Amino acid sequence: MIFDWAYAWDILPRFAPALWVTLQATLAGMMIALTLGLVLALLRRSPVAWISWPAAGLIEFVRSTPLLMQIYFMFYVLPEIGILLPAFTAGAMGLGLHYAAYCAEVYRAGLESVPRGQWDAASALNLGAWHTLRRIIVPQAVARVVPALGNYLVAMFKDAPLLSAITVVEMLQLAKMIGAESFRYVEALTLVGVFFLLLSLCAAALMHALERRLQVAHA
Amino acid sequence: MPEQDAVIRLRGIRKAYGALPVLRGVDLDVPHGQIVSVIGPSGSGKSTLLRLLMMLDTPDAGELRIDGERPWVTDRQGGMRADRAALRRARGRVGMVFQHFNLFPHLNALENVMEAPVGVLGFTREKAAAHALDYLERVGLAGKAHVMPGQLSGGQKQRVAIARALAMQPRIMLFDEVTSALDPELISGILTLLQRLAEPGNMTMLIVTHHMHFAESCADRVLFFEDGVIAEDGPPAELFNNPRYERTRRFAAAVSGG
Repeated sequence: MIFDWAYAWDILPRFAPALWVTLQATLAGMMIALTLGLVLALLRRSPVAWISWPAAGLIEFVRSTPLLMQIYFMFYVLPEIGILLPAFTAGAMGLGLHYAAYCAEVYRAGLESVPRGQWDAASALNLGAWHTLRRIIVPQAVARVVPALGNYLVAMFKDAPLLSAITVVEMLQLAKMIGAESFRYVEALTLVGVFFLLLSLCAAALMHALERRLQVAHA
Repeated sequence: MPEQDAVIRLRGIRKAYGALPVLRGVDLDVPHGQIVSVIGPSGSGKSTLLRLLMMLDTPDAGELRIDGERPWVTDRQGGMRADRAALRRARGRVGMVFQHFNLFPHLNALENVMEAPVGVLGFTREKAAAHALDYLERVGLAGKAHVMPGQLSGGQKQRVAIARALAMQPRIMLFDEVTSALDPELISGILTLLQRLAEPGNMTMLIVTHHMHFAESCADRVLFFEDGVIAEDGPPAELFNNPRYERTRRFAAAVSGG
């Protein structure tokens, strides 16, 4: 088996739409995970039991069941109760929800790491609880957990191929299709591997740059 | 003292942290404009008193009035719960400066001072910026307005914290061992600043301090705390020269020597 460079070059352009789908799914999932994760973390910290318990329950449920099952649920079960989502939307929401649960735990650690003196100072200035969270506590908490959030986002990017299970044609699914039609798998699969590697490295570099900027801002 | 004259009024205040009683029945009336030093050994309840006066903690029992407001009311189970409206009004009359500054590290000096005038008093950002700069000027830090707290010295941080509290124009200012975390050479600058703030006489100040000379020279009145109660209460001259309790005399002697 020899790697056919000319063939690899030929099929390269066919990956553009699939790459775009993977990126879109990751970005949409990331947006959901970052915002929903913060909301879940804040709800979980609520002193009111009927708010914090459901949030804690949802986080535990999502973290303790497979992502693939959750994606199937979004695509195959929700229509039965009348919620019919396009495959891409269901997949992005599945990714977002799954990683929101992980991000919620990261945010929780960040929120707990903000010293009590910050709450004291805010109360002494008569700032309300919501104002204190939004302007004082959350910005400091988020700055502390950017590296941990970054890791999960790269992990989510690598989980995007699971969307192929609900008919979304992302990169890995396309590589399989190209392989099936030509009986040459090595080029297509290698290209997908290279795409993932390059994009993961880029994402990691971006996270590092962001971390450094935050460190400078907080020095 | 007639009720309306006391800007701080405490009756039978008790507070325990877990099983540890910290305040065991404190009665106190402070008239407006009085400068009160609070001294006493570590763990005697001085800082807890200030936290209760700032309404950062809830007393277990007793009555607390700040400028006529009663932020805590007794609930049916006999515990204390907040009267939110009164709590908000009462907190608006009090400012506090902490031992460890507690500046907001992600905001620069000016933004630290602006945050509450914008968020609580409803100032526009322009008005709040001018207001904040005015207070930074008073503590001698107008030149550091755009510096992040991490780049300030301890003394400068404490000045920003003082400006931040003053910018809310409280009637009562609480200072909780504000020089304890500072290098020795920075302490006198902060004490001089406190003295200057005390002079106009239109602000009530409670100052927890270990500097006996400062407590003596700056205050109208000294409270000596021991084991969660006010063991001695009087003008500085009386308390330092003629303490009624042997314990006060020994404490004052030990601390001024050190």
